[in-house]
Amino acid sequence: MKIIKRTALAMACAGAMTVVANTAQAANWLMLQGTEPEGAAKPVNVWGFIQADYQADNSTPRVSNQGLVPPKLIGPNLTSQAAFNVSRARIGVRGIAMPLDDKVNYFLLIEAGNNAANYYSSTSTSTNSSVVKATDASITLNHAPLARVRVGLFKYPGAEEGLQAIQVFDYINFTEVTNQLLLERFPNRSYTSNIADCNPTTTTSCNLNGFDRPVGAFRDVGVQVFGSTMVGEWDASYAAMIGNGNGLNFSDVDAHHDLYLYVSAEKVFGGEGPFREGLKLFAWSQSGKRNFDGDASGAFETYDRDRSGIGMKYLKKPWRFTTEHMTGKGMIWNGPDKPSWALITGGNPDSSDSGLKAKGKGWYVDGGYYIPNTSWQLDLRYDYYSRLDDSLYQLDWKTWTVGAQYHINKKTRVAFNYATRDINAKNFATGAGPNANLDGIKDRYGIQLTAIF
Amino acid sequence: MSKRAMSVLATVLLVATFSLSNPLNAADREHKVVLQISDGSPEKQTLVLNVANNLQEFYGVDKVKIEIVAFGPGLQLLFKNNANKDRIGGLVGRGVQFSACQITIKGMTKALGYPPAINPQAVQVDRGVVRILDLSAQGYTLVQP
Repeated sequence: MKIIKRTALAMACAGAMTVVANTAQAANWLMLQGTEPEGAAKPVNVWGFIQADYQADNSTPRVSNQGLVPPKLIGPNLTSQAAFNVSRARIGVRGIAMPLDDKVNYFLLIEAGNNAANYYSSTSTSTNSSVVKATDASITLNHAPLARVRVGLFKYPGAEEGLQAIQVFDYINFTEVTNQLLLERFPNRSYTSNIADCNPTTTTSCNLNGFDRPVGAFRDVGVQVFGSTMVGEWDASYAAMIGNGNGLNFSDVDAHHDLYLYVSAEKVFGGEGPFREGLKLFAWSQSGKRNFDGDASGAFETYDRDRSGIGMKYLKKPWRFTTEHMTGKGMIWNGPDKPSWALITGGNPDSSDSGLKAKGKGWYVDGGYYIPNTSWQLDLRYDYYSRLDDSLYQLDWKTWTVGAQYHINKKTRVAFNYATRDINAKNFATGAGPNANLDGIKDRYGIQLTAIF
Repeated sequence: MSKRAMSVLATVLLVATFSLSNPLNAADREHKVVLQISDGSPEKQTLVLNVANNLQEFYGVDKVKIEIVAFGPGLQLLFKNNANKDRIGGLVGRGVQFSACQITIKGMTKALGYPPAINPQAVQVDRGVVRILDLSAQGYTLVQP
């Protein structure tokens, strides 16, 4: 009897595949992040990624006082205009809760890097620091394939930039519409007046990041029902979730719950998992309420927070094309043009610069070209965000981002981005009103190394 | 013709006759391979399917008989909703037999509290290891990726 056991030839010929993530694909993120492959999952799969980067901002301070505002500084610290950072250092474990029974999946991910999800100000010491924080902790029950149930802390179903895995995102930074309209900031519970613009590089008392809670990071604690099925060549998916509406925080701070709805249909061209090529159409909505002391009365009022979007993503190498349009109403973050975490000035929720009841909208177009027979890819994106849309204090954010990526191997890549920014308060003259700070916003560039393990 | 020359000529003629009467060389004869999978890891599942596919690509579907025997944790490859079921279906369509060990099924039934749903395209055999030994006795080459 001839036995050939684990020969180098067999291994080489078989070309064993490991699950790797390359860059953003037309993937089904609901299923990839919430479930394990049936019959082919490990009980314990340790994985993670590190993103280390350098970013620099060429913006200039306000002429009158040399003050800087957050868009001119490198986050999340907002203490300098050029910095090295470990944006993300995540380690997690996922798998099936019991060997042989893969109907119960789990997913746990911890953040040990430095970003707005884990960098904030301590309420007790008033000093900023980054903490080790759980970003995902969930259990999925797959007993009904078309009505799976996921419970815990995880990404809510929504916009493509937020829902997809960040380690395969094609750019260093989100679009402004995603960053400002969707990536929720939670104002400090007690009303605080604006912080005057200042220069953290020269003034010791200048702290432009005074949040005492992390950003929502496109996540919530709640329960989601979801499913996916092939209809001919199309992969049809849906998700409905109810959550606290409190982002990464484990508690509910009010009696309201957010409702998230999502549908997508993808014509699959080929491939699977993160590598899948196809044409995906998707739509989503998010509705909730927030308590906020908008008039400095010492009592909370309730404000709506509604968001919705529709988009498409096409991937068939060597080309990629993505576009998404989003709108929002209520709790529009109006901070970044002012050096303040507050949503409003003067304690008037109905003032024209108040984001509490305001609208916002935006869209982006993204294209990518994977240069054949090379490890290079080129990326180009344009994004537009109209904040406090149709109001006196409407700000238009227009950004072009050019990118290039080199894939060192299937799990490691380096990305270079250059962004040109044009931000304008269209109802104010140059140097007047918000433009006093916005006029100095210039280009920004960065380089990021991502290693997935 | 000398005796020596006659002897050489006879040998040449004998070899030529044998070659002409036996046209199959190593590359043409049918190969028989049994692939064992006894490990439930996703990588091993992918590997064994890749090996089966590569063998058919190299020799041709009609020139290699392949049977994949799954037992122990490797039986997960033949769970009904295994993520690789489409690939398995493709290989079955090209003549590959997938054999599922019934002893393992009984053991998993005990562990789970219910019988695992097995891919209907799999053939259930009494004992996976015995099946491998039987195939080996029939001239199959055992490959353990």
